[in-house]
Amino acid sequence: MILNIPSRKSAIISFKEKNGNIAAVFPIHYPRALLRAFNILPVEVWGPPKVDRSLGNSQIQTYVCSIVQNSFSFLQAGGLNDCDLLLIPHTCDSLQGFAGLIKDFIPLEKQVLTLYLPRGQRQSDLEFISNEFRSLYHSLSEITGLKPDSKTMLAFQIEEEKANDLLKKLYLNKHTLSLADEEFYTLIRCREYLPAEEFSNLVEEALNNNSTPSSSHIPIMLSGIVPESMTLFSILNSLGAKVVADDFACCGRRVYPSGTSDEPFLRMAESIQNSPPDSTRGHSIESRGKYLLNEIKRSGAKGFIFFDINFCEPELFDLPILTEILKENNIPVLTLLIDISDTISEQIKTRIQAFLELIQ
Amino acid sequence: MNLSNTLTYHWNVNILGKSVLRYHRLKNTYFKPAKAKWSAPYLTPPLNISAWTKELVGRHYLKGNFVNQTQKVVWVTSGAPVEFLKALDYYILYPENHGAVCGTLRVAEEICTLAEDNGYSKDICSYARTDIGSMLSGKTPVGKLPKPDLLLACTNICQTVLHWYRVLAHHFKVPLILIDTPFLYDEAKDHDIAFVKKQIEDAIPVAEKVAGKSLDFKKLKNITRYAQKATYLWAEILSRAESRPAPISVFDQFIQMAPIVELRGEAVTVDFYAAMLKEIDHRISKGIGAVVKEKKRLLWDNLPIWYRMRYLADFFGQHGIVISASTYTNAWGELADFIDAEKPIESAALTYIHPILNRSTGHKLKIMTMMFDKYKLDGAILHSDRSCKPYSIGQLEQRERIIRHLGKPALLLEADHNDPRSYTEDTTANRLSAFIEMLES
Repeated sequence: MILNIPSRKSAIISFKEKNGNIAAVFPIHYPRALLRAFNILPVEVWGPPKVDRSLGNSQIQTYVCSIVQNSFSFLQAGGLNDCDLLLIPHTCDSLQGFAGLIKDFIPLEKQVLTLYLPRGQRQSDLEFISNEFRSLYHSLSEITGLKPDSKTMLAFQIEEEKANDLLKKLYLNKHTLSLADEEFYTLIRCREYLPAEEFSNLVEEALNNNSTPSSSHIPIMLSGIVPESMTLFSILNSLGAKVVADDFACCGRRVYPSGTSDEPFLRMAESIQNSPPDSTRGHSIESRGKYLLNEIKRSGAKGFIFFDINFCEPELFDLPILTEILKENNIPVLTLLIDISDTISEQIKTRIQAFLELIQ
Repeated sequence: MNLSNTLTYHWNVNILGKSVLRYHRLKNTYFKPAKAKWSAPYLTPPLNISAWTKELVGRHYLKGNFVNQTQKVVWVTSGAPVEFLKALDYYILYPENHGAVCGTLRVAEEICTLAEDNGYSKDICSYARTDIGSMLSGKTPVGKLPKPDLLLACTNICQTVLHWYRVLAHHFKVPLILIDTPFLYDEAKDHDIAFVKKQIEDAIPVAEKVAGKSLDFKKLKNITRYAQKATYLWAEILSRAESRPAPISVFDQFIQMAPIVELRGEAVTVDFYAAMLKEIDHRISKGIGAVVKEKKRLLWDNLPIWYRMRYLADFFGQHGIVISASTYTNAWGELADFIDAEKPIESAALTYIHPILNRSTGHKLKIMTMMFDKYKLDGAILHSDRSCKPYSIGQLEQRERIIRHLGKPALLLEADHNDPRSYTEDTTANRLSAFIEMLES
């Protein structure tokens, strides 16, 4: 099956042609609907992988992760010139430093907005996120001159929730889809830049094209921040594996449930607050372990691969205990640490191959 | 707590331990054997107060060896709001301070390796690896660390602490209190402060439940008052480095800051810093500097390199250079005005959201600029600390601006505060030599 997925660039051009603005949004969680209510399309920046990093090296130390290194280089190289503003959620110490560096020292013609996401799942955290969204509303209002009302914001939130529900359905029906893993994840990841309504159309199209599930592949689950390089998927498939579930920060951890409140800021906050456990949002390691075991059970995964980024402290701290939890439940585990600019090396391929042989 | 435990605790801590530590303090203060053996002609021998510091820190860790039998224990991050915990009579352990002790005594590498052997990456903070290695193996140079009944992580110094404390919570199976302090890119918003205040209020019943007692607000106010007094005294002490020659260097400050971090809120800490200030004023009146022939004065940015403190002090001392100011030690004195003993919870929210590490990189540059002016500095050493990203990201730009806007030389020194494997002596010596040549030219 071939889906006609627009590129990032064409999505930007198309939205701009309709007099919309573009926000470059950095990982991981933020209120898409709030931006859309201001006629701003969020286009996410997860690196990107293929960037000349020399531009960033002069301002960011080499022991900072490759997402931040590449983002900074990309910005310096003019890669974000088409964007009208930047939104940097407070995801980790490195993105915090990145935002500070840009706001304080790098002269930009566009506004740089930040958003603090609390690390707890308490009532006080929910109220705080709502307040952060209110504060973001005022900043966006100052930039655009618009003042969308509650009804408008709720309408956009409901559109996002529809897309989220479809995303969930896509995951649940993955085994029946006639999509190779790389195609599947290309579809999932176009959520990073397509308007919710366009994403929903693509997902519905994919869901209508079923195929007979293949039983010859080894089902595995992946975890990490971002699956770069995306050739990982074709390599896994060529080695006889099939990805049946994931815990990637840019994919599976963003299957947001719908909010319940009629108040738009609170509803957006509920949606993020109740999303799957995430190291960057302060969930306990136990809750992450429990979630992973449930996903493994649901998807029938026979092995688990941590595909993490060097220097990513939020992920690295959890790895030993999560590995222990999985192994206690007889799930074979492989840990691969990469740099998002790296191609998948022969050494990594050999390790994956050996891991799959072990599972068989 | 039974009678036998109480007797064991009091015998070891309050009778035997206290006597031995006091004897050593008096011996070192009045008979001065350490000074007799002093072998660094470029540096003035340590302050007399150092003997008291050793006694205070030694007693704190000695107490930790036995305290599980008599008191509830909480492990906290270094910038955590501890006053309400102290008012609930917790014994408070600071794993970061313990990490620094391991670093200074050069056992951190071995302990970090134990964490790495258990799957913890070398790319995570070396304080955390030291603590986790110690937790998993029981290895520590202080005898034994008490097991926590409660954990409290405050994110005002980094997000790393939360990841680290989640590991501790998993291991010890005890409650973890989170005080999440929104990062301040600009000024604190009302809802930022309200959020921190609410979390402190919510933390109190959790801490009360574990402690088995209720919070006495009168006691909390007194503790807050002591915390403020000690913080003011510490700030005064640091300000005395304005004098020429500077009576203390940052290497003294790094050691003498232990009580303001781990004994904040105690009467003895106030007495200690009052005595220290007196000794420093005496030095000033006699024209005694930390470096015998002071020629140049520098700023130190970021955490110390704990395992090479003496080497660096000697190296700079030989060249007549005193590092007289530090953003790191300044952080423990600059928030005193926020503290208000009459409003202990509200003021804690305001105080603990404002540390330098919870503020933007531009704010740090402002502080550095202020320090250049106040201490009449000739240059800066920016320790690019592999283990502390919040402190280090932005340093390349800060260095550039110090050079360009202040017209002062600044050196970026690559190392790690606790893990010597990320430090190369030859490279460091070469870079420092070249920097000093430039400074002297």
